[in-house]
Amino acid sequence: MSAISARRKRAIALLSLTSIILVTLDLQGSGSASVLRGTFGVFFRPIEGVTRVITRPVSNAWHGITHYNAVTKENDLLREKIAQQEGAAVAAAASVRLSQELLALNGLPTLAGINSVSAQVIGDSPSNYSQSVEINQGSDSGIKVGMPVMNAAGLVGKITKVFPRRSIVMLITDPEYALSVKVINNPEAASPIGDPEASASTSSTTTTTTTIPKPQATSNIPGFTPGTTTMPLTTVNVTVSIPSLTPTLTVPANGALPVRETGILEGRGSSRVPIVRFIDSAQRFGTILPGAPIVTSGGSLSLAPPDIVVGTVSKVTDRLGTAGPILEINLVADLTNLSFVRILLYQPITEQVKP
Amino acid sequence: MSIRFIRFISSRWTRLVLVASVVLGLQTTLFNDLRPFGVMAQVMVLFAACAGVIYGAEIGAVAGLIVGLMYDCVLTTPLGLASLVLGATALVAGAFPYFVRESSWWNKAIAVAVASAFGEILFPVAQALVGLGGWVQWRVIGVALIVALLNLFLAPLLMPVVRWTLKESLVG
Repeated sequence: MSAISARRKRAIALLSLTSIILVTLDLQGSGSASVLRGTFGVFFRPIEGVTRVITRPVSNAWHGITHYNAVTKENDLLREKIAQQEGAAVAAAASVRLSQELLALNGLPTLAGINSVSAQVIGDSPSNYSQSVEINQGSDSGIKVGMPVMNAAGLVGKITKVFPRRSIVMLITDPEYALSVKVINNPEAASPIGDPEASASTSSTTTTTTTIPKPQATSNIPGFTPGTTTMPLTTVNVTVSIPSLTPTLTVPANGALPVRETGILEGRGSSRVPIVRFIDSAQRFGTILPGAPIVTSGGSLSLAPPDIVVGTVSKVTDRLGTAGPILEINLVADLTNLSFVRILLYQPITEQVKP
Repeated sequence: MSIRFIRFISSRWTRLVLVASVVLGLQTTLFNDLRPFGVMAQVMVLFAACAGVIYGAEIGAVAGLIVGLMYDCVLTTPLGLASLVLGATALVAGAFPYFVRESSWWNKAIAVAVASAFGEILFPVAQALVGLGGWVQWRVIGVALIVALLNLFLAPLLMPVVRWTLKESLVG
């Protein structure tokens, strides 16, 4: 009996040591962890597939019971939103096209110039302490670790693990996620110079009072008085209209143009919204108001190209000193309901392997 | 050779791997979809805790480490972390037989629920220990309580399965 117990204790010690070694290897980025996961996946995926098929009716019944009212309400809301946005979408598409043409004309990079792969979300992370999803495209489609993942609304996350036919996407809300972003501050109510309405009101009406003295000289010619005008000797009110010299061209004031400031976006788990830190509290940037859009900043070291929409500022928490404010973000992408995503096959210059 | 092979195939550990694969399938599909109060029921933690409560600390710990290693293969956390956590959970659950001599099904279920809560709290702590900070929040307490409650109800269903899986011999 004691021999069996000693053998079990040895087994516990061996398994614990193996686990510790595996943790160390995985944290060091060793390929053996990926090999082990891949091998396990080969055996486990069929079991998972069968289980999914068998348990789908139960899942559907559960969702039917728990989400029926929410889905009905959401459908009504979405129908109304679609009706509102149909018109706006046409105008927006035209603007985007124009913007892309302008950027291309000036040789600037655009998202339209980056190839992408569409993928379907096939699973969530089976843990309460991880914010990731699994997609059905992998290295066979050209996907690499670090590539940005978007859906129709905006940025969703980045690729963290790649297998030949599937990949793991870390969502923006994961505490491990960090990305350089730009906050485009809406201009505050600036007083425009040369506003046509304002310039109209600057036309002045000047009333000049001129007193013409009574002439002293006399003449013998009847009806003629030398040195005088023909004006009667009275006090005259002269009204002169001086037009304003203010130009009619509207020039925005210093703070009226959108100002961009970079910061770092950090996820904080599923229950809390992401935040943006390290925003410069420079006076030039002005007061950040809720609703200011947040987009990726891009750059040679960033894993995402510039100008992918991330979200809008929902709350601003000011801090003392030079720490700068902390911005809470409303993400544009609904991470709780991901079905299809697009992976931008983008790699920053620093990551590209030279031939 | 063939006798050894048959012995290996019929051993409790082989059976554990096969049954745990099915439980893991349920974890990644059914229980991943059903999230009461926004929290996923942790059947892998439940499996380890049941093993500890029924068969004691030693067998429980070995079962927990094996089940955890399988769970690790589908998680994005470092490989081996869930193994250590589930091993520790089973070890804690294994202390139950020392305290309660003649236990009934419902006090075993309570012990499983308590061990599950412990495991659920231990997981983010272990993540923080290896440098994956950010998950140690007050929310963890709520998650652990809900997982404990769910596992309290699921334990009577899984305990017979675990008892059969880890039985030394299927004969007799």
